[in-house]
Amino acid sequence: MRIDSDDCSGCGQCIPYCPVGAISMDDDVSEIDFDECTECGNCLRLADCPVDAIWQQELVWPRTIRSIFSDPLTIAEESGISGRGTEEMKTNDVTGRFQFGFVGVAIEFGRPILGARFYDIEKVARAVSVLGVEYEKKNPTTSLMSDPGTGKFKSDVLPEKVLSAILEFKLDLKKLPELFAILKKVSKKIETVFSLDIATRVNPDGSIPTAPFIEAAGLWVAHNGKTNVALGRPRYLED
Amino acid sequence: MTHTLHRVGTEESLSEDYVVLIMPSKDINHEGSGSKMRRFFEMALEAGAIKIGDARLGNEYHQGGVEKVIENVEDRAVVHAVFKQKDSLIKLLTALKEADLGLSVVVSGLFDQVGQCCRNVGLEKHTINQSLGRWGRTDKLPTQEILQLNTMCGHGMVTVGLIEEVIADVKAGRCTPEEGAERLFHPCMCGIFNPFRAARLLRETAAATTA
Repeated sequence: MRIDSDDCSGCGQCIPYCPVGAISMDDDVSEIDFDECTECGNCLRLADCPVDAIWQQELVWPRTIRSIFSDPLTIAEESGISGRGTEEMKTNDVTGRFQFGFVGVAIEFGRPILGARFYDIEKVARAVSVLGVEYEKKNPTTSLMSDPGTGKFKSDVLPEKVLSAILEFKLDLKKLPELFAILKKVSKKIETVFSLDIATRVNPDGSIPTAPFIEAAGLWVAHNGKTNVALGRPRYLED
Repeated sequence: MTHTLHRVGTEESLSEDYVVLIMPSKDINHEGSGSKMRRFFEMALEAGAIKIGDARLGNEYHQGGVEKVIENVEDRAVVHAVFKQKDSLIKLLTALKEADLGLSVVVSGLFDQVGQCCRNVGLEKHTINQSLGRWGRTDKLPTQEILQLNTMCGHGMVTVGLIEEVIADVKAGRCTPEEGAERLFHPCMCGIFNPFRAARLLRETAAATTA
């Protein structure tokens, strides 16, 4: 995104709308730090610039990925849906993507607030790869990898900054302790945050298969979350 | 896309915050799903939804009104309704079970409360998604008060700067907490930000920082 300094009246109205604080006042006009801007479109959509000084420049590769991963209204080609993820557990009642004995894992980089660069995402992806995971092909983050087997990304995307990007994969439930240990270690080596989520089938008696693993690892778990209530049809039937 | 999962808050505050999402699955049941999602919107509003939204096309302000949100829904959409109380959620889940639209339905909220609602209505908890919190440079994150408001838009469009500005406006009496909460709703394109809960949080935060 750009702000035309000749047109800008210096009202500062756009500044609070930037989620990563990339807009500041310089010489009495608003200015966007182009390297920090994630192309989310929030300032253009909402700041209601009185002189229409905010404008969208043409996005060319690799900057195009900033919009895909930051603007909630941009549709990702891989998933066919808006946002950065996939249908994941939301349609698990009809897809059977996550069955008993497995968990769906999503590592959401940059959330909340900070945004993330792909060199940090690659650090975690490479560390997690030792578990032999297969990154979700429909997730746009996976499409930026040059070698999904090792978690290596294409070199030209590494410096790109996005509001969030998700590493998504399925894991054998029994491998959760190893995953937690890896994430504890590698999370100390990144310059941003990630939010971690795990999806699981609920046992017929109502118990949660992941609970003992979370407790054993001494991890915090939220008292709120998402519940798929099995109203989708046709229902996926597990063997 | 886990934009409703990581809502930060106390049990008391989150007891006024439920998001229901309905979506088709590509190549399984997406054909003709647009009309089913329109029906969902109507049922949600009848049950007492305080906001509805469409992750594909934007919220009511972006689309030009609630009617437009309902009218414009497409077959591949992901749509939501926000509730401030459990009774309304039970009403909607009862109606959805009866209507049997055949699309996947996900409820975001306190697990024990959502579980109770499922039991009341006779619905199964099929799959859950748990948040294991924030990892890495958490020292760079703002206060819990700010996070509670920011995380109600999982895409991060309700910015720290805007939240701070609105808190200052409420504190100075330039707007009411309800007006401030509605202003914070605007950037949340999916329409999942809960302005009822936000108004309460703004009132509490403004009072705490004034005292």
